Amino acid sequence: MAEPTQTPATEASPDPVPKRRRRMKDLRKQPGFDTIAWICLFFLYAPIAVLIVFSFNDNRSVVKWTEFSLRWYRAAFDNDGIREATIVSLQVAGVAAVFATTFATMAALATTRVRAFKGQTLAYAVINQPLMVPEIVTAVATLALFGLIKQATGVTGIGYLMMAHTVFCIPFAYMPIRARLEDMNLTLEQAAADLYATPFQVFRRVTMPLMAPGIVAGAMLAFVVSLDDVIITLLVAGPGETTLPVYILGQIRRGITPEINAVSTVLLGLSVVLVSIFFLIGNKKRA
Amino acid sequence: MTTSRKHIVATLAAAMALAGPAWAEGELNIYNWGNYTNPKLIEKFEKEFDVKVNLDGYDSNEIMLAKVREGNSGYDIVVPSDSTAAIMVEQGLLAETKPNEMENFSNMDPKWVDVYWDPGRNYTVPWQWGTTAFTVDKDVYDGDIDTLALLFEPPEELKGRINMLSDMPEVINAALRYRGYDRCNNNTDELRDVTELLIAAKPNWRTMDYATIEKLTSGDVDLSQTWNGAAMRAREQRPTLVYAYPKEGFTGWMDNAAVLAEAPNMENAKLFMNFIMAPENAALISNFARYANGITGSEEFMDEEMRTAPEIVMPADAPAPDFVQPCPQEVTDLYNRIWTKLKQ
Repeated sequence: MAEPTQTPATEASPDPVPKRRRRMKDLRKQPGFDTIAWICLFFLYAPIAVLIVFSFNDNRSVVKWTEFSLRWYRAAFDNDGIREATIVSLQVAGVAAVFATTFATMAALATTRVRAFKGQTLAYAVINQPLMVPEIVTAVATLALFGLIKQATGVTGIGYLMMAHTVFCIPFAYMPIRARLEDMNLTLEQAAADLYATPFQVFRRVTMPLMAPGIVAGAMLAFVVSLDDVIITLLVAGPGETTLPVYILGQIRRGITPEINAVSTVLLGLSVVLVSIFFLIGNKKRA
Repeated sequence: MTTSRKHIVATLAAAMALAGPAWAEGELNIYNWGNYTNPKLIEKFEKEFDVKVNLDGYDSNEIMLAKVREGNSGYDIVVPSDSTAAIMVEQGLLAETKPNEMENFSNMDPKWVDVYWDPGRNYTVPWQWGTTAFTVDKDVYDGDIDTLALLFEPPEELKGRINMLSDMPEVINAALRYRGYDRCNNNTDELRDVTELLIAAKPNWRTMDYATIEKLTSGDVDLSQTWNGAAMRAREQRPTLVYAYPKEGFTGWMDNAAVLAEAPNMENAKLFMNFIMAPENAALISNFARYANGITGSEEFMDEEMRTAPEIVMPADAPAPDFVQPCPQEVTDLYNRIWTKLKQ
């Protein structure tokens, strides 16, 4: 996250790649590197592997294996609750990612492509506020505020949930975009300006294409963070606005069925496909 | 890259356009515990009254209460547990829909009419009721199981093989019953004794977790504090499990459907309240949620294993389930301190 230039979309960057590679090699020679790396990978991926394996289990249990079956995939697909929650999740995450990325891009430009100004640190702090404040505090505060607004205006709907998600997604979208902008030095933009490009042309033809990988990384991050959220959604969501994580949470008391594993596996597959597509596009450009 | 981003934006925009709310003539918004509502019941209601039902789930009374208290939640029907229902009636959050004057009220088992949370049933109708005790594997321990000693002073076979609910009232009330003290207790000597009992018992507990079915069926534990319906479902996968009716007493609880005072679809909500008091509909709830429902005549529509399950049909010699009223704030504060100490 801190180094968005390592995402698959690095193709446009004129980074001094060989230097970085040398540094990586040195790190890998540190004693115990392999062991620690494997332990980390194991803890990261073993739970996911278990989840996937048990989504193909014929039993109702999520812990005891009997035999291979696709029945939970059928059950999950036939389950209205799961289907509706998935659709709501994707809608909210999509809208939140688009708006959060737009705002984050504007904020990143305004905090990096200008001369240092008074209160710049304060501006960073304000933008990143959702990362610092405990989520439950934001959730309760948002619930109270939306309650007031609903009372005053009588307007209800999924817009509130999308707005809340947009807000806490902004810092996640902002970080990779800002990092990308800080990596790009100003010479290209200055050269374009020297050649009589208007500020808009400079932005459209130079700045924007160069920062695109950062924007894509930011949007993906915002999408995933929104898809993940439980606490704020739990309190803000109105009727018919249950997202997938909230739906899953509601099942715990009554026992989780492998339907949840099946849905999670499908979502996982979807995100692997998404990331692979970005990676392939990136590689093609480089070649 | 630019074109591919355009594609993504276009796809997202299309997804947004499809996001428009599905609109029906009449609507009903139900906010119930997750995985607690039979989809067939909803389908039947939608067909019979031409109403579109939105169903959402919560995982604790507190979350539901927080949202309702803020106002304009948009929900019509909620399903609070008995003590939460009492609080909601007292705070004026529920509409006085007078279920006791509805057509199907005659089906309600008389023993569930004058309940502490809604005497005479002016606000609520039963959804499901059950007991909270514990279930134990008879193959692991074959002694007398109908005693809370198994939780607090377990025999050798069960030490380190116990899961307790991560639930303050259930754990503390079980300890109070074991010692023979009153519920909602503020006697400091008795509470000190209970604290010592709990802290001494804790090393014998493997986990404190709500996911009791998974804990039992995975073989992670051999005894778990649990709800009777969960015990039945765990037994289906591990047939040697037996649900205990401890002689010192155990918790009874009832979740109740109620209409919010600010319900946007008041008439549909009343229709729904009457609807679930019909025996065949109450049986639909039970067949899905696997608890008893408090409506007489619903048994004949219930699945065979529900009518005979020892977890659902209490033995005649078992003590009456203990319905615990909400405790005063002062007592809750004391309990919180015990709980914090226990969880350290």
